[in-house]
Amino acid sequence: MLKKIAASLCFLALFGAPVFAQDFDLNKAKRVYKDFCSHCHGIDMKNAGNSSYDLRKFPKDQKDRFYTSVNKGKGDMPAWGDVLLPEELDLLWDYVVSRGGKEPLPKDQARAPVTDDSEQTEQHSSLTVTPGTLTACLAKNGGVMSSRRAKGGAGLDYELVAALADRMGLALAIEWFESEQEEESTPIREIYAMLAYEVCDVIPGFALYETSLSAFYKTRAALPRYDNRPEHLGREFQVDLEPISVSNPYARMEMGVVYRTPEFEREITKVADMQGLRIGVEQGTLAGVLTLRQGTDQMTQDSITLNPGADFLWKMEQGEFDAALVTIGAYDFHKKQNFVSTLALDEYRHPIGFNLSVAMLKRRRDLLDQMDPIIDGMVADGAMAALAEKSKVTYSAPFEPWVQKHLTMRDILLTR
Amino acid sequence: MNVNQLKKFGFAMTAVVGMSVAGQISAQTADELINDNSDPSTILTYGLGYGQQRHSALDKINVDNVSKLRPAWVYSLADTRGQESFPMIYDGVMYVTTHKSTMALDALTGRQLWKSVIEYPAETPRVACCGIVNRGVALYNGMVYRTTLDAHVIALDMKTGEEVWRTKSIDYKDGYSMTVAPMMADGVLITGISGGEYGIRGYLEGYDPATGARLWRTYTIPAPGEPGSETWKDGGDAWERGGAPTWLTGSYDPELNLVFWGTGNPASWNAGLRPGDNLYASSILALDPKTGSIEWHYQTSPNDPFDYDTTNELVHATIGGTDVLMQANRNGFFYVLERATGKLMAANTFVDKVTWADGIDMETGRPMDTEVATKARTGEEVTYWPSAFGGKNWSPMAYNPDTQTAFVNTLNIGMNYKAVEPQYRPGVFYFGAEFSWDWPAEGQPRGILRAIDPMTGETKWEDGTAIPRLGGVLSTAGNLVFTGAQTGEFEAFNADTGEKVWEFNTGSGIVGQPVTWEMNGTQYVTIVNGIGAVYALFSGDERLASIPPGGNVWTFALVE
Repeated sequence: MLKKIAASLCFLALFGAPVFAQDFDLNKAKRVYKDFCSHCHGIDMKNAGNSSYDLRKFPKDQKDRFYTSVNKGKGDMPAWGDVLLPEELDLLWDYVVSRGGKEPLPKDQARAPVTDDSEQTEQHSSLTVTPGTLTACLAKNGGVMSSRRAKGGAGLDYELVAALADRMGLALAIEWFESEQEEESTPIREIYAMLAYEVCDVIPGFALYETSLSAFYKTRAALPRYDNRPEHLGREFQVDLEPISVSNPYARMEMGVVYRTPEFEREITKVADMQGLRIGVEQGTLAGVLTLRQGTDQMTQDSITLNPGADFLWKMEQGEFDAALVTIGAYDFHKKQNFVSTLALDEYRHPIGFNLSVAMLKRRRDLLDQMDPIIDGMVADGAMAALAEKSKVTYSAPFEPWVQKHLTMRDILLTR
Repeated sequence: MNVNQLKKFGFAMTAVVGMSVAGQISAQTADELINDNSDPSTILTYGLGYGQQRHSALDKINVDNVSKLRPAWVYSLADTRGQESFPMIYDGVMYVTTHKSTMALDALTGRQLWKSVIEYPAETPRVACCGIVNRGVALYNGMVYRTTLDAHVIALDMKTGEEVWRTKSIDYKDGYSMTVAPMMADGVLITGISGGEYGIRGYLEGYDPATGARLWRTYTIPAPGEPGSETWKDGGDAWERGGAPTWLTGSYDPELNLVFWGTGNPASWNAGLRPGDNLYASSILALDPKTGSIEWHYQTSPNDPFDYDTTNELVHATIGGTDVLMQANRNGFFYVLERATGKLMAANTFVDKVTWADGIDMETGRPMDTEVATKARTGEEVTYWPSAFGGKNWSPMAYNPDTQTAFVNTLNIGMNYKAVEPQYRPGVFYFGAEFSWDWPAEGQPRGILRAIDPMTGETKWEDGTAIPRLGGVLSTAGNLVFTGAQTGEFEAFNADTGEKVWEFNTGSGIVGQPVTWEMNGTQYVTIVNGIGAVYALFSGDERLASIPPGGNVWTFALVE
């Protein structure tokens, strides 16, 4: 009998509830600790301390140090930043500062009790990450759509989030990030990562493709560089992605034909109408592909292929070619950078384009509900077009279908 | 001759020996490996002979004079990880390893001849479950072979330590690592792999010692359709992460031309998710060294839920005229198998408490499971003995063929256990179980050095300690048994009585492997110390807090 009691006591210690209720998931924290830490720091953090750090002594007020050591490694300790999920790291910290669940969390670090997923969602349902402030992530290198200024910013996306914050009665904060991608290819995974990590509430400039709206849930992605990125997050750090929602569209991204004024006299209704001119092809871009696929053989022979980027239109300015199909945003940016320019934009618009919207986490439904009517109104009453003009953006209003199916080869060959 | 004189003499001798064999340093051959333990000035095989008896015929140091055993030299490994390296000696040069370096030392003086540093990615220790260790080298034809923590096999020039070739076995990021000392058998360099707690698929490999080209890889878990795959009845992909690592060096019988190698536990520990026997996990394999083909197998723990690796050393002996293999298994049974066929000859418990099986059926060779095993498989909370540490862990035993006695560091620890759903993520623990230790009652030993009769499992004498010993054992014809304590003492016992006859505090815990050798008429004993490895890491035994880390090679000789 005694033996039996001893055995059951033992199980109580192993599997049973902690002495008092913890405001984090202690069992899950224990499991994470065992899977990632126990083989050096000891089961239940019990460790003779003669070669590995005794975590029971970790200062409770040095959270940054803990996160940095775990993410980046320290001394003989390997870095875990690339495999630990953010919530696992949080649980480890809770586990360590609660001394394995034996002590309550320090007051300033106590978190809302976690019970199950639905309640967790409720806990995060405050309108914005920072109450009273709308935080937007904007690309530093976003051309006419967004650019950083000594005070605030400029560009249509900046003007949009400023207007949204104003009309919602919120202060505005911007988290400026650097996208590694080309202007044309939206860095979707970075957007998902920044939202999931709650770097900001909203990210405008989100291209409405069907595949962009569902593809990345339950995967992970790296964060781009952003100004307030914590020191301890290594480049390899990855975020668990969450489902997102998008606002109604506020503008449309389109492609058009840009030409050098003196040499150009013709009416354009399709790409092939550029035949007979020296054509520039922007390598690796959708516009470049469409030029080659939808142009004539003669056009292809008369074309030169150049690297994409701001330099492309400058080459045209210098007379290396006469006409090109480009995104209108690229043209706007070129005009903004070059007050004296011989380039002009034809009225023709290529039928392939996509609508732009504001992205946010799906669980921020309240934010979306407030935002959609404001955006619809601004598009309808010309306020959006006015913001575009202020930003030197050639404005196109969005049109249906709001969400584009992803482009197929068929589209590239036949949508002309 | 006092120690100082010894040292002087050593210097002079080394110079002479060095000159005389320069140019024929590649002289060690397959024959020398086979006849290791006949030339007392060399140690060329892991375990003092291909049969891993760890028994030496040297008797100049014996039970009568061992009290005069004193350090001859000490060499710092400059490393604070656990040290398990088996020292090898050839041509007056001792070869030892740590996880991050390989060293050649003048055997008589401990003077470093060269040191070759290993670099591996800083993330590698993530996939080392039970200590950042290395167990030593293989020597052959002028080269020193070893494995690296990030699962590379490398060859160094014996004279200079320069890397001759390096072959990546597999990507460590998927949970694979290497701590094993490789083995040369029939002209093939054979290595095993670690990672049984990370959802790997275990294997053995044969390499061309001259070029590093991989000659064969034999998976210890068959793919669907291969022989043995019928023992994975989950109908899914459990086999892909089925474990069965091969992390301790095997043995070799040159006459049968068979290599014997034990495999580790199946993964995850949650046996309910992989119904079937799960071959060839927890098994003893006999392989053709040239091709890696499995000639016979014997599984000790079918459908194992308890982390009962069968990797422990396979010691050769001749008992009653039959050539046998012996193993003190993690599961608490001492197995004796016919070496040529794998036929079971004896399987008796060698520890006091075994609760998972009532015995081994001598007809079928299968364990007779108790309710504890059945419940463990169905996810109930159980307490079982011996624990995942085993009735004996990795620490290699010694066997004296003259007295037919095995000397074994056994463990006296149980485990509280409950299988849970495992979560697989490459390079992260894949336990599938919650567990904690069930320690023996206060005052009872956690570890017991035992002299064991292999055929009966009976203990002739024992020496229990509060903190278990986790190092290797050495037996000598001087009627001595050497081993070491995690508290730092290097110890000698009277092999007949178990009386402790000598000890020396080496300054850090011992989890290494003692060896003895003779040069110029003097017998030496060498041990590598340095606390670490599975018990120190996992037990949470805070009594070890006063034992500083830091590895050294200690060599002892008698003072006159």
